[in-house]
Amino acid sequence: MGRARNGDEVSEQAAEWIVRLDADDPAEREAARQGFAAWKARDPRHAEAAEAMEALLARVRDLRDATPSGHRPARAALDSARRTRRWPRRAGPLLGLALALVLPLWLSLQSWAPSWPIADLQTARGEWDQRVLSDGSRLALGSATAANLDLDGSPRLVEVIAGEILVDVAADPTRPFEVRTRHGRVRALGTRFLVRAQREWTEVVMFESRVRVAGPAGDGEEAGGDAFALVDLDAGERLRLTDAGPGPVEPVDAAALEQAWSGRRLVVSDRPLSDVLDQLARYRPGWTRYDAAAVAGLRVTAVLPLDDPDRAMRLIAASFPGLRVRTLTPYLVLVGR
Amino acid sequence: VTAVELAQRESVHSLYIDHHGWLYAWLRRRLGCPDTAADLAHDTFLRLIASRDALLGLREPRAYLTTTAKRLLVDRARRARIEQAYLAGLVVAAEEGGGHPPPERVLAALEALEQIAEALEGVSSKARNAFLAHYLEGESHAEVAARLGVSTRMVRKYLVQVLVHCGRRISGAVA
Repeated sequence: MGRARNGDEVSEQAAEWIVRLDADDPAEREAARQGFAAWKARDPRHAEAAEAMEALLARVRDLRDATPSGHRPARAALDSARRTRRWPRRAGPLLGLALALVLPLWLSLQSWAPSWPIADLQTARGEWDQRVLSDGSRLALGSATAANLDLDGSPRLVEVIAGEILVDVAADPTRPFEVRTRHGRVRALGTRFLVRAQREWTEVVMFESRVRVAGPAGDGEEAGGDAFALVDLDAGERLRLTDAGPGPVEPVDAAALEQAWSGRRLVVSDRPLSDVLDQLARYRPGWTRYDAAAVAGLRVTAVLPLDDPDRAMRLIAASFPGLRVRTLTPYLVLVGR
Repeated sequence: VTAVELAQRESVHSLYIDHHGWLYAWLRRRLGCPDTAADLAHDTFLRLIASRDALLGLREPRAYLTTTAKRLLVDRARRARIEQAYLAGLVVAAEEGGGHPPPERVLAALEALEQIAEALEGVSSKARNAFLAHYLEGESHAEVAARLGVSTRMVRKYLVQVLVHCGRRISGAVA
């Protein structure tokens, strides 16, 4: 009993020193630094009592520095750890249910809706759609896709805000058909092609016939503001557009790609893993995060099931034994080494 | 291998044989998920093996096992809440352009959060607020005082109180 009391006193003293260490007054801080060191040196039990507290505080400070956004997520997490326990027994399950309902909705809103709340056509993650447009053209939309339509004028216009569409253009010699993305335009008379718009690039894959692709002129081109680099793309060819202009035209196995697309498979041949993860991420609800350094230099050749992106993840994990794929929640998958 | 260790091994073994079945069934009824129930039953026995002295004189194995399993259930629920709130917070931060920390940091942070939450268990809410405002959010004693509407002396008292409490919990957990 006497000893326990004594121990309590020692830890109280330790705590008082630690609190003084970051007092608001700099002179007091300095005095505390010296006093604390002397106090710890006086008795090993003193140092011992201080150790656990200092270790905890170090963890708290680390936590503050761990996120670029600082302490807010950490504070929210700690408050959530406590909150439900203090509520009356009945509220627990109810709250849990409410959270279970609200959180996924909220997460999906966060990751999805705000950017294009009023697009003419859209699909959610993991959802596909097919439309026959008023001009007779057919449009298939991939997962997480948003597009606007303006088919009455000339040219007929489809604007892809994000995601991918497969277009089967109804021939109309008087009115060309044009697909626009933030990176450029694809113009066709009657043809079948795929447009995939991502944040960094737009990819055009030709299945049939030919289109003309216009992207921003590259740096070397002499150009005014409206200058476009024009590239003709034939069946069996693929091209990437970025802000820097059109990339090289590459041959692809168009038939296999088209089949894969309609079979909801992602066919990749010697692509960087980061590219593939980006694409898979578009099919999963929630978040896929990867450690760029860990996946750098890894390349993938695979046929992956897009309608089962979790299985696709596992397939990737299985082919790179050095890689760890962790599902922290269904809403967060981490890939690292 | 000492005689004591042998006896312990023996008793864990017989405990497992006698009790694993109903513990698993009990957890399964509560959780409705056979996999989680199996995990938790396993963890419960691990916890039991880790606490050696409990082993030797275990009078009421059932009571002990259910208590341990319940505590593990609570821990697990808390872990899930922390994880959800933290990840949701990161989503918001990333949306606001704060970027996202690398995966290994997220994992380390989750571990730290769990430990801190555990240490703070049982602290009064004002003291807890003072502690987090000062050490996590980096507010000065005066700022915390203004926020909580108390004197700086009171803020210091809160901080000492929380530190003593946490120190006791942490060294208690280690011993």
